[in-house]
Amino acid sequence: MTSRGTPSRFLKSVLQNGVGRYVCQLKRVSIIFSKRSPSALGVRDFIEEGVVDYANKNPGTVVYISPQTSSIPKVVAEYLNGNTKEELLTNKTSQQVLEVLTKLTDQSGQDIIRIRKPFHTDSPSIQGQWHPFTHRPPSVGLIRPQNQHGE
Amino acid sequence: MSSFSRSAQQWATFARSWFLIDARMQPPGKIATMCSVRLQGKHKPIYHALSDCGDHVVVLNTKHIAFSGNKWEQKVYSSHTGFPGGFKQVTAAQLHLKDPKAIVRLAVYGMLPRNLHRRTMMQRLHIFPEDELPDDIRANLTEELPQPREIPRKLSEYTQEEIDAFPRLWIPPEDYKMK
Amino acid sequence: MVFLTLSCWIRNRGPDRFWKVQELLKHARHFRGRKNRCYKLALLAVRRAFVYATKGRKLKKRNMRTLWITRIAAATREHNMKYPILVHNLNKCSVQLNRRVISDIAITEPRTFLSLAKLARARQQEGFQAALGDGKEPPGVLSRVMLQ
Repeated sequence: MTSRGTPSRFLKSVLQNGVGRYVCQLKRVSIIFSKRSPSALGVRDFIEEGVVDYANKNPGTVVYISPQTSSIPKVVAEYLNGNTKEELLTNKTSQQVLEVLTKLTDQSGQDIIRIRKPFHTDSPSIQGQWHPFTHRPPSVGLIRPQNQHGE
Repeated sequence: MSSFSRSAQQWATFARSWFLIDARMQPPGKIATMCSVRLQGKHKPIYHALSDCGDHVVVLNTKHIAFSGNKWEQKVYSSHTGFPGGFKQVTAAQLHLKDPKAIVRLAVYGMLPRNLHRRTMMQRLHIFPEDELPDDIRANLTEELPQPREIPRKLSEYTQEEIDAFPRLWIPPEDYKMK
Repeated sequence: MVFLTLSCWIRNRGPDRFWKVQELLKHARHFRGRKNRCYKLALLAVRRAFVYATKGRKLKKRNMRTLWITRIAAATREHNMKYPILVHNLNKCSVQLNRRVISDIAITEPRTFLSLAKLARARQQEGFQAALGDGKEPPGVLSRVMLQ
């Protein structure tokens, strides 16, 4: 993996999230499963036991449950910034499904790619950035090299 | 910070200064060190090799540089024209007579890093053999750098009182014949 | 009995090769020339790029440190000091800033850097004072400091 060949971004937060209050970035989550297939057993268990609790805990998130015939169980998460993420739920127990959902809820929806520096600030300088005249005493008049040697 | 003042800040940070160096009675190597540091921008805390932050340097009086020792006779500048028998060797004195800018220019050129920016940096070096400066260059100057070497005074620059007051090791007798 | 599958096997070279090529070309798409589309050339170039990337991970640390030191040296020279003096005296003052932070300070907060330089200068003068003592020589030593 070369650094030029992989996408990268700078560290940033979503629109000052957490400055006033925290806004959950997960907008909509739809759980797609089949009513019959054995691989969706855990998902069906989760829908029976935990999905109502999950929806109660996250009032900012819309939860859709769509049983579809003969489809792979998966969860599609849509975020406030427009990104969507899919996660497969095949052969997962009810506990694991809850873990996947919690992970998706906690994420900000930004692409998970290499972050160039582990620190970032929008206003790097308080005192004003260095420039050539920061520490230079203000010059008195013009520089006249001709008059130096008393010609 | 608004975007407007930010761009102004950017302009201020990367502004190019023009330095003036007076090379009268100075060793060319020390002049070249000062020049090469400033041409590369290594005197700025924002230095980066790729960010092209070098400054302009104006060198005056290169006709009056001073080599120490017997470098004028012994220092040899070699070049090859590329043709058979084209190996040229001139001493510093001969080169200086032919072109009073050449010694300082070659010294600076040798101190710059060997890369593609070298010629660009050399274009920001302005050498003048005498005191005269064109007005457009003089208008740009921002700072004059102190000379690296203190110029020793000549005997003719001392007044008679100073010469009389100078401590003497030995006072010649009246009838001593000075050659 | 007609065995139809065999002819399919002969024609079908399997899906693996296409995906194998794509998997490699994925890393070569930003290369210049035919390297970004021909498998044979991309194979060599990608391998070389990965070798460089591995070496570069170590070199980057070294290069960044030299860059920080160059920048700190440049900023220190503005205050008529030298880099080793600054770093040594800040260390003596137990200022626990690394070179990255000091060089960032020199760029973004120049007045803070000025105070750091003044601190180092003061510590240097203190060190000189301590080395000279209070003008007295140790017992049994006679030197020019005493005679003056």
